[in-house]
Amino acid sequence: METTTDKKIVIETRDIAKVYQDAKIPVRALKDVDLEIVEGEFTAIVGPSGSGKTTLLNIIGGLDNPTSGTIKVAGKDISKLKESERIDFRLHNIGFVFQQYNLIPVLTARENVEFIMLLQKKPVHEMRARALHLLEEVELKHKANVRPSELSGGQQQRVAVIRALASQPKFILADEPTANLDSASAANLLDMMARMNQEEGMTFIFSTHDQRVIDKARRVVTLEDGMIKSDEVRS
Amino acid sequence: MKMMATIAWRNVWRSRSRSLVVIGSIVVGIWALIFMLGFMNGFMISYINGAIKHEISHIQIHKAEFKKDNNIGFVIPDGMNLARTLALDSRIQAVSPRSIASGMISSPRKSGGVKIYGIIPESERSVTRHDSLITEGSYFKSNLKNPIVIGKELANTLKVKLNSKVVLTFQDRENNLVAGAFRLAGMLETTAPMINKATAYIRMEDLNRIAGLQEGVHEIALFVENPESETTLLTDLRSAQSGLLVESWREIAPELELFLSMTDSFLWVLIGIIMIALIFGIINTMLMAVLERYRELGMLMAIGMNKWRIFMMIVIETIFLSLVGGPVGILLGLLTMYWLGIEGIDLSAYSEGLREYGYSSILYPYIENSTYIHVAAGVIITALLGALYPAYKAVQLNPTEALHTV
Repeated sequence: METTTDKKIVIETRDIAKVYQDAKIPVRALKDVDLEIVEGEFTAIVGPSGSGKTTLLNIIGGLDNPTSGTIKVAGKDISKLKESERIDFRLHNIGFVFQQYNLIPVLTARENVEFIMLLQKKPVHEMRARALHLLEEVELKHKANVRPSELSGGQQQRVAVIRALASQPKFILADEPTANLDSASAANLLDMMARMNQEEGMTFIFSTHDQRVIDKARRVVTLEDGMIKSDEVRS
Repeated sequence: MKMMATIAWRNVWRSRSRSLVVIGSIVVGIWALIFMLGFMNGFMISYINGAIKHEISHIQIHKAEFKKDNNIGFVIPDGMNLARTLALDSRIQAVSPRSIASGMISSPRKSGGVKIYGIIPESERSVTRHDSLITEGSYFKSNLKNPIVIGKELANTLKVKLNSKVVLTFQDRENNLVAGAFRLAGMLETTAPMINKATAYIRMEDLNRIAGLQEGVHEIALFVENPESETTLLTDLRSAQSGLLVESWREIAPELELFLSMTDSFLWVLIGIIMIALIFGIINTMLMAVLERYRELGMLMAIGMNKWRIFMMIVIETIFLSLVGGPVGILLGLLTMYWLGIEGIDLSAYSEGLREYGYSSILYPYIENSTYIHVAAGVIITALLGALYPAYKAVQLNPTEALHTV
């Protein structure tokens, strides 16, 4: 599972298709999607609404199964995992950032970051130190004991990103992370994620409409009608 | 676990007013449960104590044949001496030997069937305390010749007043019909309808003289010093008096035992109803809480919180909700029981009807300490049962769908 540049492939999809059978007429959300994501990438998956971005992200994130095809994450075919195994796989391998931040409202910023490490059963002193370190990195240490309702949208999303990062995942999936942010907050968040990508080598995969994200991405995968229309790697 | 408990506890207060409503219903439910338990217990104790104290006493001794056939000839051999010996036992507070006959009581205007007790007033009053229940006249204190004490209700039926003459007719030892004239010395009012309506008390010496019984005793009633010693006393008496029938109040009046078990069953039904109501209240609240947090629960599942943890988080939250209401309800119930245990509940407005069934008009609710522990355990079980369905709903969610819930 090595590329020519000796970087590991973290995500590999082969001929994946997804058909939703719920409606009267089956809806084909993805068709024959072949995609490889190598570690350290900063990739944006773009496309109009209904193009299949979220479906692809859900499949990559192990939240949904493809109707056909294979999906390997960190070398493991996650579509073959049992549900409980898949939850555990997500916990240790994938970081999630959601459009609506989705922080736990009754926990403080620090506790939100610690929470995922708690699920991983990390020692208390270790998770406390890592949470504070990450909060410091995103300049929110002074807000450590504040609940999400007292943070701005940008601050909440920064906490959500470091929460995803706290579990030391193989990659971070971000579904429209800047959609609810103003320009300054979005720029700030993108700079932060780009820095983490460059300094720590963290792989980021975004689904987005936002041109600011697309401009920052080093690879842009465009989906249309459930198929990959283009795959552009930038220098 | 600590973090789970923290989240659960904070979630309880997330929707403060809704939580307070459900906590309030738990408090009221538990208080009502304790009150009803205490009330029914008090009712039961009042009834049984009344029956023991004024009617049957703790233990009675008879000649076995007398219980089968109330023939006046079946006297306890050397009964008076046995009564005197028993009076020396420190476990026995009072002893009353009685001779008994069934017969008729007649006034100039009416007559009716009665059970006639020949008693030694000094001994009898220490067992049945009938002297304290005299409403008119006195308890064998007057200088009347052949005094008789009957229930006020019987006196009314016979249309007799104090000092009126009544005639008792019954069989003597030889099965001859004999009669004696008595003067009404006192009227009593007890909680036992049988005593009020169809019992007459005369001096033992009078009954025995007319019936030709000399010192014949049919029944020895014992009032024990400490009800807890009743069982051992019964065993001792049975082995010492093997020829006699020694019975506890449970055997003498099996209807009391039946009443006890019926009340017990009723209480369980009551507990069940209150618990079911609480369970539905809790299910409703927790289900709302789960549906409200659908997206959040979906996020938790997405980032890697397994179903068991989500299930437990909802269960812990429900237990916390109940643990806030439970102790407050128990404390309120305890204070109510303490206060009512001293003050009592005046049921005099209903006492005429209640008296018919043998209850006193002031009721003292009572609850054993262990009941509070049972109620506390009941609250936890209720919370657990109430948590199951909402927790099940929570783990059934699909994270991809939940994450897109508005």
